[in-house]
Amino acid sequence: MLRVEDLYKSFGPLNVLEGITTAIGQGEVVAILGPSGSGKSTFLRCMNLLEQPTQGHIFFKDEDITAPKCDILKVRSNIVMVFQHFNLFPHMTVLQNVIYAPMKVKGLSKDQARGVGMDLLTKVGLAEKADVYPSRLSGGQKQRVAIARALAMQPDMVLFDEPTSALDPEMVKEVLEVMQDLARSGMTMAIVTHEMGFAREVANRILFLNEGKLAEDTTPDAFFSNPQCDRAKIFLEKMLK
Amino acid sequence: MDRLLCSLWVWLTGARSAARSPRGLHRRLPRFWAIAIVVCLAISFNTGWLTLFAPPAPAQDIPKVLTMGTSADYKPFEFYDTTGGESKIVGYDVDVAQRIAKDLGFELKIQDMDFNGLIPALQSGRVDFVMAGMTPTAERKKTIDFSDIYYSAQNTIIATQGSNLTTIESLKGKTVGAQLGSLQQEVAQKIPGAKVTTRNRVPDLIQELNAGRIDAAIVEDTIAKSYANIYPDLKFTVIPNNEGGYAIAFPKGSKLVPEFNRVIAAMKQDGNLDQFAKKWFEDQGKPTETGFQRIIPRIPFILGGIPVTLGFTFASLFFGLILAIILAILKISSFKPLRWFANAYTSIFRGVPLIVTLTLIYFATPQLTGYKIEAFQAGVITFALNSAAYVSETLRAGIMAVDKGQREAAMALGVPYRMMMQDVIMPQAFKNILPALVNEFINLLKDSALVSTIGAADLLRRATIVGAETYLYFEPLIIVAIIYYVMVMGLTIAASFLEKRLQKSA
Ligand SMILES: Nc1ncnc2c1ncn2[C@@H]1O[C@H](COP(=O)(O)OP(=O)(O)O)[C@@H](O)[C@H]1O
Ligand SMILES: [Mg+2]
Repeated sequence: MLRVEDLYKSFGPLNVLEGITTAIGQGEVVAILGPSGSGKSTFLRCMNLLEQPTQGHIFFKDEDITAPKCDILKVRSNIVMVFQHFNLFPHMTVLQNVIYAPMKVKGLSKDQARGVGMDLLTKVGLAEKADVYPSRLSGGQKQRVAIARALAMQPDMVLFDEPTSALDPEMVKEVLEVMQDLARSGMTMAIVTHEMGFAREVANRILFLNEGKLAEDTTPDAFFSNPQCDRAKIFLEKMLK
Repeated sequence: MDRLLCSLWVWLTGARSAARSPRGLHRRLPRFWAIAIVVCLAISFNTGWLTLFAPPAPAQDIPKVLTMGTSADYKPFEFYDTTGGESKIVGYDVDVAQRIAKDLGFELKIQDMDFNGLIPALQSGRVDFVMAGMTPTAERKKTIDFSDIYYSAQNTIIATQGSNLTTIESLKGKTVGAQLGSLQQEVAQKIPGAKVTTRNRVPDLIQELNAGRIDAAIVEDTIAKSYANIYPDLKFTVIPNNEGGYAIAFPKGSKLVPEFNRVIAAMKQDGNLDQFAKKWFEDQGKPTETGFQRIIPRIPFILGGIPVTLGFTFASLFFGLILAIILAILKISSFKPLRWFANAYTSIFRGVPLIVTLTLIYFATPQLTGYKIEAFQAGVITFALNSAAYVSETLRAGIMAVDKGQREAAMALGVPYRMMMQDVIMPQAFKNILPALVNEFINLLKDSALVSTIGAADLLRRATIVGAETYLYFEPLIIVAIIYYVMVMGLTIAASFLEKRLQKSA
């Protein structure tokens, strides 16, 4: 579904990604791991073109989305993103947050969008919060709304950038459960996370980034039981301590 | 352009009778700003460059309706009769003008404005002639034409009762006041050893006299009589052999002058002028009521300025906001020339006093485009342009204060830039700047009093009119101060209510 070829990204003199090549298949759940500053977020943001790659190509369903003539907005509405800090729109109610983009971007009628929105809110267990403003929600609830908002675009792929890192520990579980359900439903997902248990259990694949390079690309079992590179060993030691 | 800038300068400084050369004058006006403002004006009007630099419209042939310019704060020559909330300009000059118009077969329209705006109004073709107790001084004759004298006046020294200032000689070493640009100013300047100071209006001079800031003032006799009647502390003495008089002013080369002169001569013959003089100048008797008692029946007239002031403020804020949004977007644009333009715009309006901009727009528009812009329109345009400069800066900061994540979240959903700004960023930016916007609104409301200088009948202008009619100074100002205060407080309360409601939704 998504193919990355020799991807480079630099911010001025700083080279963040240095030649990443990989592919993510339909329905795959890929966990992207790596130490802080290794370029995980940047990699993820290149996938939906929030960042423009400096060099290299990304193919989505065999279309080169890094080509100049590519419709960036269309790519983004197909590969949606869930952020660490939720980024809900504070001046809109929960339901408005969810249906805004489907109405404005996909041109759904208000009734259609409400139908889709309420279904999704039911799925994430927040139907009764449809008409409250985000400021009244807990962190876990906010992130579940953000997931519903992303799914309302009926995307082909969802990117998660540390979706549980900003949450109090007791709220992590409710968000991971929603993500697990989503994975089971066959959604293609790329998840930057520090939840090792979740990565091991839910992901089909692990990408380990180190200093802008793809240090390991393997199965969870192989990665957690027998990491190949030294950097991954140190990383796992720290994370699993 | 030279002629325009010159008359603008003259209006702004009231320097009509000053003895500087015109060449020295217009060099002082920052021409760059003048041009910049006019360009902005043209853009806002969508008139384009071509019409902007078209030559001024040629002097019209004599129209069926004659427009008379006057400054209706000079009782009994011209003033508003405001009892019972009515507002009608009446007085000696008005009667004379009516008679002339009738004899010549015209309909008369009267336009009220600040005295200092009268000559620019003539030059810009805004009015056909001016009757405002205007003396044909040599300085004025350089730029406009005059009819024969229709009213002969005598100059007087007005001073406090115990002062002994009754002769020209006694004024040596004293501070003597006179109305700016009047014949009396010239008289005062010829008094040996006197320090001359000028004010825009005669009522201001009377107040300075009461306050003891000036020792005496040179004032025309009819006016002096009225004030001495109201203020028992004042007395006046006629200066012998010092006659002046009033004449009707016209644009240079007006075909109306001989026609008017013919009727003036006829009125002198048939005793009509004496009749009017009797009607307006005979002793009105001392008023028995207190100042406020005399103001009360005129309060409805002052209150009539509220819709004008509020309408003006709302319209300015509305157009100002639209422009501010555009400017703010330019300011955050990644394209440098756009940012540069928006920042230059703000810098210009910050650097030029509002009253200068206002005057430029009011007087330059007719001369440059031929469109006789109304005082209200000119005011709204000026205030909107000015307010946009400030609000765009606030709004830019408000946009920057919106969390970066908001922008990313919208982008990550494929929302196009324009929709993102409109639906996601701007609502939050406006909420951020709401308190600043309320402040701007209050400032606009108070600053709107500036439009009274170009004659829009707002609250302050109406208070001034009532003051001129009643020869009272403080009472109408106190009334109007209270009205402004109540409006500002009302706004403040409404705004804090709105703010609380908005706070709930986030
Ligand atoms: N917009 C940016 N401008 C400049 N440097 C950036 C930007 N975004 C990220 N970086 C830098 O790129 C490096 C990788 O960042 P990031 O991809 O966020 O790492 P990770 O998500 O793995 O912690 C860091 O050194 C970070 O400071
Ligand atoms: Mg990161």
